Amino acid sequence: MSGGVRTEVDVGRGLVLRNPILTASGTFGYGLEYEPFVDLTALGGIVVKGISPAPRAGNPPPRIVETPSGMLNAIGLQNVGVERFVREKLPALRERGAVVIVNVFGSSEADYVAVVEALEREQGIAAYELNLSCPNVDKGGLAFGRDPDAMRALTRAVRERTGRPLWVKLTPNVTDIAEMARAARDGGADAVSLVNTYVGMVIDVERRRPVLARRTGGLSGPAIRPLAVAAVDQVHRAIDLPIIGIGGITCARDVVEFMLAGARAVQVGTANYNDPAIAQKLVDELVSWCRAHGVGDVNELVGALEE
Amino acid sequence: MPFDVIAAVTDQRELGPDTWLLALDAPQIAAAARAGEFVMLGLPEIDRMLIRRPFSIARVGPAEAGAPRTIEIVYKVFGSRTAMFSTLRPGAKMSVLGPLGRGFWLPEPDGPRELLLVAGGIGIAIFPLLVQQLGARAGEASLLYGARTAAELVLRDWFAERGVAVELATDDGSAGHHGMVTDLLEARLARPARGRRLVMACGPTPMLRAVGDLAMAREVPCQLALEETMACGFGVCLGCVVPRRNPEGEFDRFVRVCTEGPVFDAREVAP
Ligand SMILES: Cc1cc2nc3c(=O)[nH]c(=O)nc-3n(C[C@H](O)[C@H](O)[C@H](O)COP(=O)(O)OP(=O)(O)OC[C@H]3O[C@@H](n4cnc5c(N)ncnc54)[C@H](O)[C@@H]3O)c2cc1C
Ligand SMILES: Cc1cc2nc3c(=O)[nH]c(=O)nc-3n(C[C@H](O)[C@H](O)[C@H](O)COP(=O)(O)O)c2cc1C
Ligand code: FES
Repeated sequence: MSGGVRTEVDVGRGLVLRNPILTASGTFGYGLEYEPFVDLTALGGIVVKGISPAPRAGNPPPRIVETPSGMLNAIGLQNVGVERFVREKLPALRERGAVVIVNVFGSSEADYVAVVEALEREQGIAAYELNLSCPNVDKGGLAFGRDPDAMRALTRAVRERTGRPLWVKLTPNVTDIAEMARAARDGGADAVSLVNTYVGMVIDVERRRPVLARRTGGLSGPAIRPLAVAAVDQVHRAIDLPIIGIGGITCARDVVEFMLAGARAVQVGTANYNDPAIAQKLVDELVSWCRAHGVGDVNELVGALEE
Repeated sequence: MPFDVIAAVTDQRELGPDTWLLALDAPQIAAAARAGEFVMLGLPEIDRMLIRRPFSIARVGPAEAGAPRTIEIVYKVFGSRTAMFSTLRPGAKMSVLGPLGRGFWLPEPDGPRELLLVAGGIGIAIFPLLVQQLGARAGEASLLYGARTAAELVLRDWFAERGVAVELATDDGSAGHHGMVTDLLEARLARPARGRRLVMACGPTPMLRAVGDLAMAREVPCQLALEETMACGFGVCLGCVVPRRNPEGEFDRFVRVCTEGPVFDAREVAP
């Protein structure tokens, strides 16, 4: 409850978030960097930067460029690796009482399994989000995210090793995202989160070269919001599994839009860079929006499109 | 700890061709700012500007009295955002996050020092705050300042008025040495030092590379202020990295310009 509005949402396998506002992987660091700006426990949850079995150096710069109403990034999943995450980041997050969702990345099924097995020994993890959708690495991620059989098999392999809530993060860079959502469900996922970034490219016309060293990158920000809302709507109509909506959220209206399309919760990404306090502000704004619109429970919004 | 504030523009002045000074009423940031640190500047409305832009904190003011209230930015119009910034007038509101980054580090003033500030073009923007913070010891600093042409050598009198020895270089010979600022540095390094020597540089990448090489060849400590495209400014997006070298000169890892820099020891980075 918050300000007379019920905000708790059930995202599957008994995981009830105190509100539907989470932060998206790769845009919120390991959470602790945001402590000067945000009470981490006021959020529905925080999804940390993608973790792989070993540390990854990432791609050479330039890695980012602004685009109309968005940005393109090709970070290449630079991260500290699961061992240092467990040693240096997780204990502090646990102590704060933050709801931590670990975004897992690998280049093979064995990699994903290795990260999850290492994390199974640790307390203070609310759920796993399998990143099967990163467009900025050569191997893994997207390869699984585009092949329903590979996605089902990989989800199942992880499912067999954990009783924790398991989310699969979907790429929109496919012909039929609903088919991928079905594969994740059949593999035993408890929820799907969508979308990851759209493959994009910016060319410096003076130099006749791609701006990003990796040639292409992932597009995020308000530019992709209508595309992401359509993807959520499509998946919502196709399967009955909790959906976490992601893509270009900057205000309460956007949150409501995703929830009406069928999302039970949302993740805020690129907007965190512009305003590091935005996620917490959105919790309050959403409550105000609900009060102003006579909505007593945010769950009333989920999939509540007038047909 | 950085502050994220909405600040009013208090001054906007053209200093030279496409070069502006912007002052903002941001007392918390002004009080905390250290030389070499920066701010991320944007507009309060996210739908008018999604990704903020990094700028050095050029100066805090009022310079000589009490706790400073304002921060000053000295910037060049490069593209769409800096062009838009230059149209803002006193009273306009901006969003400002800072102070950010790791600035210059100065040796303890345990004896005479010879501080060589090397600026190329708009790289000058990083140095006024350093001179403000040197205070009475500003005379230990020399500014070696290069640009394409005399009109671009903004703020040069400000440095001279504070006791900094200023040497100029221009590509077209319209002021000072007809040639590159690195020529001035080379000549200076060949002379005997007046105390503990330290080079600090900010400017275009080829200049930084040359400055680093000259200083290292003579084993003079050297700090380089780097630039890379930034989205967050506080270490989370991993967009602003540069390769870091180990003592053997091999690639070690990518470091973030926004938090591990923007000022680096020349031995660590290869601009
Ligand atoms: C730590 C730091 C401190 C800086 N301090 C200052 C300063 O005090 N004064 C100042 O004038 N500039 C400074 N810059 C550079 C400044 O951030 C860019 O000039 C600005 O972001 C350009 O924005 P724009 O929208 O006008 O240009 P865009 O439309 O984004 O780009 C136009 C051109 O500007 C160049 N550019 C874009 N971003 C950068 C960047 N981060 N660094 C260098 N070139 C860039 C691109 O090559 C592009 O061709 C600093 C950069 C960093 C990283
Ligand atoms: C710089 C950057 C890094 C990202 N890193 C990851 C990552 O490590 N794992 C992941 O699953 N998604 C990553 N994403 C994708 C975001 O989590 C999110 O799905 C996407 O940005 C769309 O949301 P937005 O428009 O609100 O930013 C990253 C996005 C950005 C901009
Ligand atoms: S600008 Fe985001 S990590 Fe440096």
